[in-house]
Amino acid sequence: MNSFIKANPGRCIGCRTCLISCVVAHEGRRLFELGYDDYKFNPRLFMVKTSSVTAPIHCRQCETPACKAACVSGAIGMEAGRVLVNANKCIGCKNCVLACPFGAMDMVETGQTMPDGMPKCVALKCDLCAGVADSPACVRVCLTDALELVTESELRDEIADRRRAAVSGSWTQATL
Amino acid sequence: MTVRQTQTTCCYCGAGCQLLFTTDVEANKILDVHPVQGRTNDDKACLKGWFGWDFLNDPKILTKRLRAPMIRKGGKGSPLEVVGWKEAISFVADNLTKVKAKWGPDSIMGAASARGPGNEPNYLMQKFMRACVGTNNIDHCARICHAASVAGSRQTIGEGAMSLSIPEIEDAEVIFNIGYNAATSHPVVARRIVKAREKGAFIICADPRITETARISQLHLPLKGGTNLALTNGLANVIIQEGLEDKAFIRDHTKGYEAFRELVLGYPPERVGEITGLSPDDIRLAARRYAGSRRSVILWGMGVTQFSQGVEVVKSLCSLAMLTGNFGRPSTGTGPVRGQNNVQGTCDMGVLPDVFPGYQSVADPEARAKFAKAWGVKSLPTEPGLQLTRVPERVVHEKDPAKRIHAYYIFGEDPAQSDPDLAELRETLAAIDFVVVQDIFFNKTALFADAILPATSWGEHDGVYTSSDRGFQRIRKVVEPVGDIKDDWEIICLVSTAMGYPMGYGNTEEIWNEMLDLSPKFTGATYGKIERQGSVQWPCLDKGPADTGTMYLHKGGHFATPDGRGIFGTAHYHPPTEVENKDYPLTLCTVREVGHYSARTMTGNCRTLRNLEDEPGWVEMSPADCLSLNVSANDLVRVLSKRGAIIARCLPTERVRPGAVYMTYQWWIGACNELTISSLDPTSRTPEYKYCAAKVERIEDQDWAENEVRRIYTDIRSSMGIAREDARA
Repeated sequence: MNSFIKANPGRCIGCRTCLISCVVAHEGRRLFELGYDDYKFNPRLFMVKTSSVTAPIHCRQCETPACKAACVSGAIGMEAGRVLVNANKCIGCKNCVLACPFGAMDMVETGQTMPDGMPKCVALKCDLCAGVADSPACVRVCLTDALELVTESELRDEIADRRRAAVSGSWTQATL
Repeated sequence: MTVRQTQTTCCYCGAGCQLLFTTDVEANKILDVHPVQGRTNDDKACLKGWFGWDFLNDPKILTKRLRAPMIRKGGKGSPLEVVGWKEAISFVADNLTKVKAKWGPDSIMGAASARGPGNEPNYLMQKFMRACVGTNNIDHCARICHAASVAGSRQTIGEGAMSLSIPEIEDAEVIFNIGYNAATSHPVVARRIVKAREKGAFIICADPRITETARISQLHLPLKGGTNLALTNGLANVIIQEGLEDKAFIRDHTKGYEAFRELVLGYPPERVGEITGLSPDDIRLAARRYAGSRRSVILWGMGVTQFSQGVEVVKSLCSLAMLTGNFGRPSTGTGPVRGQNNVQGTCDMGVLPDVFPGYQSVADPEARAKFAKAWGVKSLPTEPGLQLTRVPERVVHEKDPAKRIHAYYIFGEDPAQSDPDLAELRETLAAIDFVVVQDIFFNKTALFADAILPATSWGEHDGVYTSSDRGFQRIRKVVEPVGDIKDDWEIICLVSTAMGYPMGYGNTEEIWNEMLDLSPKFTGATYGKIERQGSVQWPCLDKGPADTGTMYLHKGGHFATPDGRGIFGTAHYHPPTEVENKDYPLTLCTVREVGHYSARTMTGNCRTLRNLEDEPGWVEMSPADCLSLNVSANDLVRVLSKRGAIIARCLPTERVRPGAVYMTYQWWIGACNELTISSLDPTSRTPEYKYCAAKVERIEDQDWAENEVRRIYTDIRSSMGIAREDARA
């Protein structure tokens, strides 16, 4: 089973430290030496605020990803339990954006220019910091521990706990 | 490459988080910053702590660092010219001396800094104003934020600071947040509230908006703006009517209860419900829950103090805690959580018109004699000085030139961005004969300066900050300053010496030691002790190791008042000064943006913080108001009050009520203080930033508006001498 990042709206205070940490992890610390318009600020998670909920939306790293199935150019693949976009193969068709039920796929400008002079846009999503950090940067910086990398064994433990709670009749919304 | 690690205290907000910097010494470059274990933050930090150091690189995103002294040699209207320090100091000293000779010491006003400089330069600034200039006209931005808390708390419980510590919050059983949204003002404090809730605490939030704090509360009281005092009186009413008060505590530790009781009995929940728009049952529930625990905490912020009844609400909140015996034990008491990193410290240092360092009254002859002797002057001024919010009154509204302020020494503040009614403030600055700005960035106030003295920033100097919960913590130099700039304390010494009152110190510790010996509450908090403990909370009376400081105040119900008894206080509710009307049907309230700080010269110059939020700023509106005005998300709209008009971007949100709009104050274009009213609390003289009448207008030609926003931004930057090509397209 793929690991994924879970957000707990009971802990999230909407500060968006996670969004910046995502960009810094992927751009590298060179960002702090670049001209302020010489990099792209493209977080791979998205803060959502409704009247009752605040939480960042991440890719769920689906087991049979709708984005991958919808991709016409073979740009979306699975690698070591992660769903990854190969920006070089992406043709910008946006099928994946339309397919993702969570809105976790975004279209972003890369900073490169197309032959017609328009900015190049590709699909971008959470890669669990593959190749850029030992652990997801957003989880590491969250000051209220609202973000958690859920692995298969943790999910199994959680499911077991809920089953126990369910048979004893003590399951409530609060245990979520 | 020599790599050095330096621990320092964060320069944003009063939480006082500890950060570890890794630097390349030869290249004078920051390689890494991350939070480390500290008394208040554990090992956590918010976005400003993690990424808010970037301004030290001077990326010139918003404005630019000051790198050399500048003066207007040809007087007002002449250009600012770069000069050497010698010339700049004599220019400042000569002009201040001239003003003093002609109009007297009380014609000079000083504003000091609750931000980067730290406690030592602030101690020297008030010493300079009192001993060298000879006036108590010294104040700082606590006036526009928590002055009401200082005044109201001192009148009731004797001490103006948080009675409890930040870590204690997480072990409270009931947390009553009123006019306080820790999630944006102090994320690290919000973390304690989240933890408290997970440990089983009952969280109450009184706020007109659905803030993040309201969202994580079990009981949200969405009261109408400006009705705090009706609510707090109502809570006291329920507690007394239902017999939930702590009779023994009231008898043994307080006075003034009968008058308090009589007044609040006029505020039954039904009446309060009509005033506030709350359900009487919710008011009862809040009162029962608050009174039902011995570990109840009240936290408040600008939503209490920035009203013309701020002081009365603070007194009322302190009275609620006394009424229920919620003082003097761990995880209970009152928490006016300080906004800026060192606003507690700047108050501690006596940068207030009525007190010397350590809250010793200027009216007290013994205190005056002690300071006069230590500072080597014959006498010190006896009358309390002018509050900084009253400077316009004493310039543009003062007919008698002999009573006017003729010189203004502004050290580390940006009133032309942060004070209410900016048009009036600009008129004031332009009318003052001589304005000195001592700062790290070129800001809007510097445009009015006759002399600019460039100082080192946080990260470039040593010192001590006081966190919101009375904790002295060290700040340390991380990188070497660049340019012809000096430490704030050194600049003040040079000006003072040139004016005939010599001051000289070898380092900040020498200044600190002089202050400690004059301030009994702080005497024990030596640099050595702060180094050893990491943080020393005042009162700390003795220099020996046994006195480690004070975690919470009023132990055993002994208050800091002269006779040790708390004094009940409250008042009758009245509506805000300027209420909505036919021409201005909306109410405007100013609030905070989590990623930006104060007047934004620092955070606006941090790449990633600017990426999250940038000009022209938002106006939060209810979807219903957006619909009736025919405006949508991201539209540029015009926001107007009697005092001005600005352009901002529309942000529809279900989190605000119809009829109310909200803006944050740090934007140059969407500068909501162009609109705010300069009416003041009669005691604290804190402005009513949280309530004025406004209207919003749709702009038909959005392309014109987008261009207008760019034009205004470029114009401001070029007026500051920042190259046009630097301006963001």
